[in-house]
Amino acid sequence: MDMLINPTVVELSRLQFALTALYHFLFVPLTLGLSFLLATMESVYVITGKPIYKEMTQFWGKLFAINFALGVATGLTMEFEFGTNWSMYSHFVGDIFGTPLAIEGLMAFFMESTFVGIMFFGWDRISAKAHLVVTYLVALGSNLSALWILIANGFMQDPRGGTFDPNTMRLEFSSFVQLIFNEDAQAKFVHTSIAGFVTGSMFVMGISAFYLLTNKRKDIALRSFRIAAVFGVISTIGVVTLGDALGFIDVKAQPMKVAAMEAIWNTDYNTASAPWNLIAFPDKAAGKNLFEIGIPYVLTPLLTHSEDTVIPGIHQLVDEAKPKVVNGIKAMVALKEYNHDHSNVQALATFKQYQADMGYGFLAMQYAPDQDLKKVDASNLASVVDKTAHETVPNVWVEFWAFRIMVALGFIMLAIFAFAAYFSLKNEVEKHPLLLKVALWSIPLPWFACEFGWITAENGRQPWTVYDMLPTFVSASSHSVGYMIFSLIGFVLLYSSFIAAEMYLMFKYARLGPQASHHGHDKAPAGGGMAGQPAFAKPSLAKK
Amino acid sequence: MKNLFTFVGMALILALSLFLAVITGDYGPWYFAWLVGTTMIVMIAVAGAVMYEKQDAESQDKTGHSH
Ligand code: HEM
Repeated sequence: MDMLINPTVVELSRLQFALTALYHFLFVPLTLGLSFLLATMESVYVITGKPIYKEMTQFWGKLFAINFALGVATGLTMEFEFGTNWSMYSHFVGDIFGTPLAIEGLMAFFMESTFVGIMFFGWDRISAKAHLVVTYLVALGSNLSALWILIANGFMQDPRGGTFDPNTMRLEFSSFVQLIFNEDAQAKFVHTSIAGFVTGSMFVMGISAFYLLTNKRKDIALRSFRIAAVFGVISTIGVVTLGDALGFIDVKAQPMKVAAMEAIWNTDYNTASAPWNLIAFPDKAAGKNLFEIGIPYVLTPLLTHSEDTVIPGIHQLVDEAKPKVVNGIKAMVALKEYNHDHSNVQALATFKQYQADMGYGFLAMQYAPDQDLKKVDASNLASVVDKTAHETVPNVWVEFWAFRIMVALGFIMLAIFAFAAYFSLKNEVEKHPLLLKVALWSIPLPWFACEFGWITAENGRQPWTVYDMLPTFVSASSHSVGYMIFSLIGFVLLYSSFIAAEMYLMFKYARLGPQASHHGHDKAPAGGGMAGQPAFAKPSLAKK
Repeated sequence: MKNLFTFVGMALILALSLFLAVITGDYGPWYFAWLVGTTMIVMIAVAGAVMYEKQDAESQDKTGHSH
């Protein structure tokens, strides 16, 4: 740590990670949701014995396959990025973070890949019931690998299950149970997984609407629309309620993130009447909202599910951070002394006394002369403390609006799914071309909601990689700026080509659709038109 | 014999479900909610599709053509 940290390298590392994560997360939600939709369609096939549901499963399975392959490809590189670009972070929390990540790798590559293979190539080789079990295992496998990565992320948001060892300078495992049952991880998993269900439903419903509008394979389109609309309406209700629960947990675990999400600068002690900002233009430099429209009596019950819980504002939280910075500096100076001489029991005792605020000491490094906390003295302490305390505030504007957009999209999609389910259940969707058009054009909405959700979660965690413990500033590797720019451009080009490939293939196969049926579905040959062929090996389904 | 296997299989699933309910219900209420919720979403969507088939059969009886 004696080498000076270059803030430009840190910013470039952040940018690279943010970009690769946002790219990767374009593929993930669809895998999470479409897998369960495939399982649903196949269940109907097994229950009713109608071959059309097999054909449906195979058709949507083809689109699933394209997405799945690119999801795995973009995810793989991210796992290495921790080691290459975030080596300080990996050293500090690798012991804890590596475990769920390794399990995730095993789940993704062994469980999912094996069963995905059987799912695509096994239609003719195993019984219908066994195949259904395999499809469920694929769905479960993909969601379980999401679970492990969210457990790792849950630790970054609310670190539980680890203790810092001053001898190894690492955060080490103390409880696996605490890690996996971390409330934040749990709530994150359910919200994200169900957000995937919403994404899958909108995808299937929108493309089915396209077929209905263009008179293509109505038999498949109407059935897919029905399943997706029903699946989607319940999932959207789920994602909204679970999102509320996630916010509730954040109030306890990450008060600064919540204050930024709601653009609350000053604590309002009139808890019952505290206004909830519907619209605001937060200005971090000025420390206030330049403009706001608040609805009184909504904030406290909405966030805390009570009338009298005080929600601390940003200014109060900054003031509360100041003594922590002072303690953190003491902890870090003592830790450094102890590291030079492990027999220095006095230094160890001082470190232990202030250990809880160690992260704030790390954070103060960037404002210390030569990034050396030993050089903080009476002459500059006040300024270092003040700057560091203000550093604990994330980008409020981004946080406020990313959260607002996600929530608004949630309610818009709920309305669309509600109408869609209502008219589909009455078998009247074809009478409502406007609804079909809205469904088609709404396909991108869940992706926007998911991306803005991640921005809310990760921007709101700044300036920390591990909340209150390890700042982003000290987490990056010490690469050169040139190397970072080179690899950033490489990633952007590579991932953009992945997106282009995905869009091209998706548009191509979705437009082509399941091939036109010339017979009533009940006359389709048992085993479906695709029996014996890999679901994605041909651009369209074999002629029946 | 087949009945016995079915019975034992079902009993094992039941025991596993109870175990999951007790353990995850206590320590992982959200995980438990996900298991129950996902099962419910899938089952209701399946029911929606089965209902479609019934509606389709009824309209076929009336009009003589189906989708
Ligand atoms: C009323 C609606 C919603 C509320 C109240 C809500 C709430 C939240 C909150 C508080 C977070 C931040 C989690 C954190 O601090 O780490 C979050 C993240 C997220 N949200 Fe939402 N959300 C809503 C709707 C949606 C919708 C409709 C989607 C997508 C279809 C979505 C997808 C996500 C994703 C992918 C994340 C990031 C993962 C995570 O950290 O959990 N959300 N949401």
